[in-house]
Amino acid sequence: MVRLKSRYLLCEVNVSDRSQLLLLDDRAIMVAVKAAVARTHGDYGAAMCSIRFCVKYLNAHTGIVFLRFPKRCYKLLWSALPFITSIETRGQKIPCFLNCLHVGGTIRTCQKFLIRYNTQQLHRMLPKCKSEEEKQQVRKAILSCSLTESKEAFEEDSESEGEEEEEE
Amino acid sequence: MSAAKVKMREKKMRNQPASVQYPSSSSNVESSTQNGADAPGTGENADPLKGGLSEVHPSTERKKKTPHQSGWVRGHHKDGGGYTKEMPKYITAGAFARARAAEVSAMLKAVRKTTSSSHVFEALPKHMRRRAMSHNTKRLPHRLREVANRMREKSLQAGSKKKKEPAKSKSRKARRRHGNLLLEFNRRQRKNIWLETHIWHAKRFHMVKKWGYCLGDRPTYKCYRACYRAMSSHCLLQDLSYYCCIELQGDEDKLLAALSQLTSKEAGPTFAAALCLSGRRQGSVMVYRAGRYPSQPLGPVTFLWRPRTQGSVHRQLWIWAHPTLKQDLLPELQTVCQCCEAVIPPAAPVEVNPTLEADSEPENTPEAKPVPGTKRKRSRKDATGPPAKKILGDGTRLPSTPVSWRSSSNGIVINDLTMEIVRYRLIGPQSHSVLVDTLEAATGCDEVQKSQTCSLWWPQHCSDEAKMTLHQQQADIFNILKGIYSTAELPSGTVLGLTVDDPRLTLPRKRVKALPCVKQAQEVDEEKRRKLMLEGVPEPCCQSFIWEQSVRDNVTDNKISEQELNRMRSEVLVPGSRLSPTPLQGRVPILLVHQPGKQVGHEMSSWGAGWDLLLPKGWGMAFWIPLVYRGVRIGGLNMSLKHSQNKAAPHFPRDYPDCPAGMCFQEEQEAELLDKFKRHPPAKRTNYIKHGCVAPFRCPWQQLAEEWEIIVQEGGSQARTTAQADAVTEERTSQQAISITKPLSRFTVLRNRKALRLLSAWCRPTTSKGQRPCRVGELPPISCEAVTSFLSAHAMSLVWVHVSLLSKGKPEYHAMLCVPTPEDLKALGNRQGTGGPQEPPHRDHFKSRIKRRKKEPKKAATSSVTPDKPDGKEAELIFASDLDTNASKDPKSFSESSSDLVLGLWPDPLPSVASHCSRVTVGWVTQGDFSMSAGCGEALGFVSVAGLLNTLLNQTSEHKGKLLLRNPTSLHYRFAKINVEV
Repeated sequence: MVRLKSRYLLCEVNVSDRSQLLLLDDRAIMVAVKAAVARTHGDYGAAMCSIRFCVKYLNAHTGIVFLRFPKRCYKLLWSALPFITSIETRGQKIPCFLNCLHVGGTIRTCQKFLIRYNTQQLHRMLPKCKSEEEKQQVRKAILSCSLTESKEAFEEDSESEGEEEEEE
Repeated sequence: MSAAKVKMREKKMRNQPASVQYPSSSSNVESSTQNGADAPGTGENADPLKGGLSEVHPSTERKKKTPHQSGWVRGHHKDGGGYTKEMPKYITAGAFARARAAEVSAMLKAVRKTTSSSHVFEALPKHMRRRAMSHNTKRLPHRLREVANRMREKSLQAGSKKKKEPAKSKSRKARRRHGNLLLEFNRRQRKNIWLETHIWHAKRFHMVKKWGYCLGDRPTYKCYRACYRAMSSHCLLQDLSYYCCIELQGDEDKLLAALSQLTSKEAGPTFAAALCLSGRRQGSVMVYRAGRYPSQPLGPVTFLWRPRTQGSVHRQLWIWAHPTLKQDLLPELQTVCQCCEAVIPPAAPVEVNPTLEADSEPENTPEAKPVPGTKRKRSRKDATGPPAKKILGDGTRLPSTPVSWRSSSNGIVINDLTMEIVRYRLIGPQSHSVLVDTLEAATGCDEVQKSQTCSLWWPQHCSDEAKMTLHQQQADIFNILKGIYSTAELPSGTVLGLTVDDPRLTLPRKRVKALPCVKQAQEVDEEKRRKLMLEGVPEPCCQSFIWEQSVRDNVTDNKISEQELNRMRSEVLVPGSRLSPTPLQGRVPILLVHQPGKQVGHEMSSWGAGWDLLLPKGWGMAFWIPLVYRGVRIGGLNMSLKHSQNKAAPHFPRDYPDCPAGMCFQEEQEAELLDKFKRHPPAKRTNYIKHGCVAPFRCPWQQLAEEWEIIVQEGGSQARTTAQADAVTEERTSQQAISITKPLSRFTVLRNRKALRLLSAWCRPTTSKGQRPCRVGELPPISCEAVTSFLSAHAMSLVWVHVSLLSKGKPEYHAMLCVPTPEDLKALGNRQGTGGPQEPPHRDHFKSRIKRRKKEPKKAATSSVTPDKPDGKEAELIFASDLDTNASKDPKSFSESSSDLVLGLWPDPLPSVASHCSRVTVGWVTQGDFSMSAGCGEALGFVSVAGLLNTLLNQTSEHKGKLLLRNPTSLHYRFAKINVEV
């Protein structure tokens, strides 16, 4: 099959003040990336960036971003990402930088990587916890994302079926 | 995006995680709490659990959002301020972990669920996919099978919802089980009547539903020539049981008085013809509405009188009519006989025919119930269910429908015997050999059987001496038939009654061709044979017990089943030998009726003569198979048409355009042919306008007759230099005349025998080789006065003509018969080889109109009248300039017709049909084909009497009766000779 191939960059937005992270939205990120590319690669880069670039996913709590670039020129565009120093959103300028964690051919691989990465992070967090309450919470978080998955999936399955019937 | 697309996308993105972010617009408070509900929870709020929970299901939140609001689509709200106060000031490790955990679970879900919901196997890696996985779930790995099965069921259900799941049918085995099969057959017979040989035919023939019956049209195998050969040299068999029999009972004089209203002596012998009245011959007659002799014909019928019983004036008459004719004939008969009282079925039998019952069968046996009664009983049984019985006779009729009517004033009783009597027709010179081979006169029964009192009719008859001697005589005559060379040697219409053994008993083991054994038989009784050939069957031998209702029913009810017969055969000591004491049930009264062959014309006289075999119902297959085993060919409706064509006889209902059935047939045929024509792509259709064919699918007889009447009235015959120039003037006048006085008289077909004989003589060239100048001298020669006097009586008539082509060509139906110009005849005289004149191609003025209409479609809705009018005028201008087509039509009628224009066909108000082409049309062909007996194209059709006489007057004696014939799809005229055959 013929398809348009893309590269998906899994990036992490690092900010100094984490509460500012919540201000982010995907449009702001998009503007920032475009500006950076235009700055570093000129009109050519801006044009490249305008074609099939998009922000597929943004989690304001964790600062995880999926960026889609055309496969043909993703290296060029990628090379502009380190030049982002701040993102302007909701009238505020958030100083930050983007850290690329993973480059994948599909969103799916990125998602898989993200799962691994996040669980790793949580596991790393657990021994470093300072208070018992924290420990408890992190433990709970780990459990919620690992143990319940099968049960959850099943629930979701039945739910979707019900929904389908409704549709028909 | 369309709704469907949105839906698709929704479905696809169902499991994908949405971006988690705070909405930018503060005004949308509700959505902000929904979407980012964890925001307060993440902060210092004392309710972290709730926030965490809500974050666990980002996808469920997503569902509530419309796709436009989601972060996937690029459209965005304008940035808004005043959000900062909700922002948490610091974070905790717990919130951090929870956020991670929520993201992980969202991602997990996205990863684990396939994006497209359709198939399970899409989740499999490529190398594990197999062919036809969706069809056969066993090709999937075991762990996925359950899910796949569920999916498959669901998709099947979805499909069935749309397509209306077909009713679950039983297995083939169950369906083919005898009882169920019979039920199914009975169900299918409810609408159209099945003949008794239906199943046999359905396996071998293309069946058509016609006239309320299921009839075999033509065999599926190739046998056109073979069937023709069978008709002309051996024997062709047809099942004509669909012909309806109407029985009339009453005193002879009263019957004749009533029936004489329906017929006329001018059209040939009537019901009262002496030979027919004695019961020795079958007669055929044309029936008219009561007292409306020339104008309102109904159709042809054949009739058969039962021979007189001694000292009784009570007579019985069978009238056989075509099913389309019956519906008109039966009410007509009821009115002339004043039989309006419908006899209620169960009461009828007792007083149906007291005299007959008295002399034939003193004690009415319980089995010999009247037909209506048994039918009623049978159908009641059918309704109740399980004991399904085979339907014999008419399965479509309701049991309460009356089948017999009686008159209180003159004692005439009319019985509708439709489907009560099976009628087979054997056509061909050897049909008597087939009959003699198949049938065997009934053997008597010995003393022991006679003495037993049983319900069967035969033993009772055996005890009666007179009946046995009669049977012996009949058997003798039947045996004499062996010595006859050809069926045609017998007097036409001879009737022979007989009682025969069950023909299944003498079934040959292989199909053999019945051949005559003339030599042996001829020596035996030369004298008797000659007497039979000259005088026919003597009157008492025409008697048969098939005339009696009680005997018919007895025979039908007591028929040995095939199964029983086979069982008896298997018990025979020597396998394959005949059953020695013939079972008593196997005696069947039959009636053999000779059918005349070609009666008109000089060539091939009595071609296609044969026998009709009349049987009581229920015995159809028992006689059919033995007949088939004698090497006969079987023909369908198609063959009966060819039979009548070769006989040069009109075929009902096709060739009776003045009868109601014929008109009905014409309409049906036109619709059918037009439908066929329209199925072709427009570029592949014949453009009949260009061919100058006004009505390719029907023959506007009425218009033709009217036009010719006017032409003759105007005296167009005198100054006829060229037909073309003449036509112009005539046309103009005729158009005016028609518009002024609409003639009310309808056309008729000329059936007056005297007039026909006169016409026939006039048609014949006086100096022709090979034709005897028979009786021309007696008749007046053709002259202006004679013609005028003839036309005064028959101006609006058509006459049935036989057309044979002089050179090449195969006439088709609806071919035109045209008058040749003197130049044409001169050319014919000079060079015999030239085929004939050509018609100059016409112009299709409608084509441009159709094209124009296509270009501006649907505009007509608002301005339907205005654009048409100039069109019409324009077309009229073209018309005026055109010499060939001078049909000057007023624009109004033109614009009216534009609604149903079909490319290549004239719209409905036809132009003048007579003078549309360069040669004047006098008639059309209704049947035409290459005749295998004559070796050239032959056709049958009607011509206008006025037109014909006009032509004959102007023709020289050596070219008398020569016309031109042109097929609708060709421009080539062929010379043809017409004959009026009486």
